[in-house]
Amino acid sequence: MKNISFFTFVILLFLISACNQGNDKSSGIKADTARVAVLTFERQADTLVNKAVIIEGTVLHTCKHGGKRMFIVDGTDSIRVEITAGEKITKFDESLIGSRVKVYGTLKEERIDAKYLNEWEAEVKKPAENHDAGVHSGAKGHEDQGVQDKLDQINALRADLKNSGKDHLSFYSIEAMNFSVIK
Amino acid sequence: MQIKTLRRWNNALHRDIGYLCFGMTLIYAISGIVLNHFKSGDFLHPDYSKSFREYTVPLPKAGNADQTYVFSVLDKLHERDHYKSYITGEGYVQIFLTNGSVYVDLTNGQAQLETKTTRYVIKEFNMLHYNNLKKFYTWFSDLFAAGLITLAITGLFILRGKNGIIGRGAWLTAIGIIIPALFLIFYM
Repeated sequence: MKNISFFTFVILLFLISACNQGNDKSSGIKADTARVAVLTFERQADTLVNKAVIIEGTVLHTCKHGGKRMFIVDGTDSIRVEITAGEKITKFDESLIGSRVKVYGTLKEERIDAKYLNEWEAEVKKPAENHDAGVHSGAKGHEDQGVQDKLDQINALRADLKNSGKDHLSFYSIEAMNFSVIK
Repeated sequence: MQIKTLRRWNNALHRDIGYLCFGMTLIYAISGIVLNHFKSGDFLHPDYSKSFREYTVPLPKAGNADQTYVFSVLDKLHERDHYKSYITGEGYVQIFLTNGSVYVDLTNGQAQLETKTTRYVIKEFNMLHYNNLKKFYTWFSDLFAAGLITLAITGLFILRGKNGIIGRGAWLTAIGIIIPALFLIFYM
């Protein structure tokens, strides 16, 4: 009887922990943190690489593969900002979609050059694709892209790279240290 | 140490580690099945079950999808109580609900209502499987993996005789190694 009671207690403990999850923390914000806006993010980003930033937006999408990234927008989906989960964040749960969030983190730059695109193309052509390879756009259905869609995306990036006149394209994201739901 | 004593220790180790690993084995096995089928495309999301329904809704009168229009769509779908927020895109409006979303194509009035239901417990199992918790859980899950390795090795030496590792057990163990090797050979 004692053993059954203990076993029931263990199961209950697990269920309670399952109902008691949260990522919302807003402490430890540095004084020199820059405020950035979703709609002007692309223009502001190149001067703030590796600096602390705060941004607000509506969650459009969260990654289904472990919730390690999400995309936020502001009113329209024409500009999406990618947010990746930092060390202190367990995951971006799908229940966040449609919520207004305030994110505190570090602005990161990812550079994509011709070599990267060649490697990505080789990976896409393999039978078992690696989800982590490539550029995440946050667009509806981007995680369910087929091989041809990905190859089209790679070719479009090659054209962008050629038109840019530079040897790389820059993609900016924010590595979140913490975030809170505003409403 | 005598063989008999070694075997007694082996069996005791297998028994006690087996008890300790029971909970985590179930967690990884259950979420493993879910994640397996999610990766195969059988599920749209590992943590939520989703259903979709199609509707035709009136187009916005002034051409712009504003809050009044969004509420009129939700009233038609009887989903106003679940309203969270909305965003507009080129030729569409997406309305977010507490239990899903509505995607309205503003070129033809076709609306898709996505309703999601949380897979409670499985969602938490998946969180552990993906190691979303990081920190000390990484150490704990490594310890669990070491426990499984110990279980596998000690399991080989529990039985003696024709059903043990020098008899039938050897064949079954070999089959268990050959099957994943064949998958690698044929699919790589």
